[in-house]
Amino acid sequence: MAEHTGAGDPPLIYLNNAATSWPKPADVLAEVTWCLKTPFFEQGRSTAGGTTDYPSATRESLAGFFNADRPDHFIFTQSATDSLNLLIHGFVKNQKTPFHAITTELEHNSVLRPLHTLEGEGRLTLSTLPFDDGRITLQEIKKAIRSDTRLVIMTHGSNVLGSLQNIRPVSEYCASNDIFLIVDGAQTVGQIPINLSEIPDCAFVFTGHKGLFGLPGIGGFYLQDPEAIAPIRQGGTGTDSRALAHPKDMPQKFEAGTPNYPGIASLLAGIRYIERQGQDAITSKCRGLTALIIRELNKDPNITLYTPAPDLPVVSFNIRGLDNDEAGYILAKAYNIITRTGLHCAPLVHDRIDGGKGCIRMSCSYLNTPEECRQAVDAVREVADSADR
Amino acid sequence: MKEFVLDEPLTEEFLTFLKSFGTVKLYPHLKRPYFSFEQEHFISIKGFVGDTNVEVRNRKEFLDLTGDYFHLLLFYHREGEHGTRKMQEIGESIRGKMKIRFPAPGN
Repeated sequence: MAEHTGAGDPPLIYLNNAATSWPKPADVLAEVTWCLKTPFFEQGRSTAGGTTDYPSATRESLAGFFNADRPDHFIFTQSATDSLNLLIHGFVKNQKTPFHAITTELEHNSVLRPLHTLEGEGRLTLSTLPFDDGRITLQEIKKAIRSDTRLVIMTHGSNVLGSLQNIRPVSEYCASNDIFLIVDGAQTVGQIPINLSEIPDCAFVFTGHKGLFGLPGIGGFYLQDPEAIAPIRQGGTGTDSRALAHPKDMPQKFEAGTPNYPGIASLLAGIRYIERQGQDAITSKCRGLTALIIRELNKDPNITLYTPAPDLPVVSFNIRGLDNDEAGYILAKAYNIITRTGLHCAPLVHDRIDGGKGCIRMSCSYLNTPEECRQAVDAVREVADSADR
Repeated sequence: MKEFVLDEPLTEEFLTFLKSFGTVKLYPHLKRPYFSFEQEHFISIKGFVGDTNVEVRNRKEFLDLTGDYFHLLLFYHREGEHGTRKMQEIGESIRGKMKIRFPAPGN
């Protein structure tokens, strides 16, 4: 008997793009290879010339991609989770505590756990709003507002239900009521056009390894008002090194230590790839593939579908008579179809839709084909029909 | 979680042996006959009858006690009634150590 240490055979059909997109476009792999082959260069950190200053170039690219007017207000982090921790804890550090914060049942643990931790420490009181038909309305938020409400944190798109939230009226309401808004865009960036100039005075969080086709380990946020957040990291910035006080300029205020150059290079290449393909073309293709999957799964009475009409390429379901974990194993090992099973780090959503048991999630990318999606739904239906005998 | 490649394919006879120690679920009508085995607090196993690949999970807090349990199941299932009795003794011994580590409330 030998221990199987590898990940098994190469996946034939990868439908776990809402977790991490795969494969990456060839241009992304080429850019990362180039970045690793050349000496790293960033103003203040190296005398290497003639190579790309990836952090600066990527900030410019991000500003164009998101229609944001301040490239230096894009902060690089290691992930959306890292961004949310910096923003949530940094906001609390700036406040007289305890204060009231509002979040939603749609959130990922990257939001719920920092808030729960701070609530446990007595630094804030928390209202967690229920969703209706996958959405949170401004009306619900208004109902929860108290005189001491200082913070609203909500997802832009649910990673389980694929439901898009109408952020603009929420951001306008928050801006006019002195409430800080943090938007978790982990599932929406690269999937739909996002115009940050239309979302005033918020912090917008993104990750690089999902819809932007970058590597795991790179994420970030855009912060319109740097004064709203206290930095919780200090260290080397490559600038103003004589001062023991950490710089207050952007982006250095929130970045300390050597950046993840290959990750940032992958982000730059991913954005350029999306721009070349066209965001509308990507959105349209992914919606078409998602509709194909849903149409076919809907035909099977042994499949419970939780996402009848998602805005994002996310299809969540269960198979009658099979645990989601077992169904995921069978699809992976018998059909080479990679999905994500369980709670998807969003336990409160599952409490509402499947009694907290979790489900199977299929999430396609621009690089999937209709044939792959057809094969995947055929496999799911075959498993569902056989399991129910 | 560990994946193992066995020297010989898993058989229904092995699943019958496993039934003495926990819950076996078998889905014989699938493209490949899938099974799972769960022995609470000890081990869970997933795989396909006739396949040499299996996925084995142990509870992290008892890994030092149950880390070899799958190997013992493979070994003793060939020994008929004696193997079943032996595994029950091993199970009792491990369970006793688990109770010392995490006594039931009120004990």
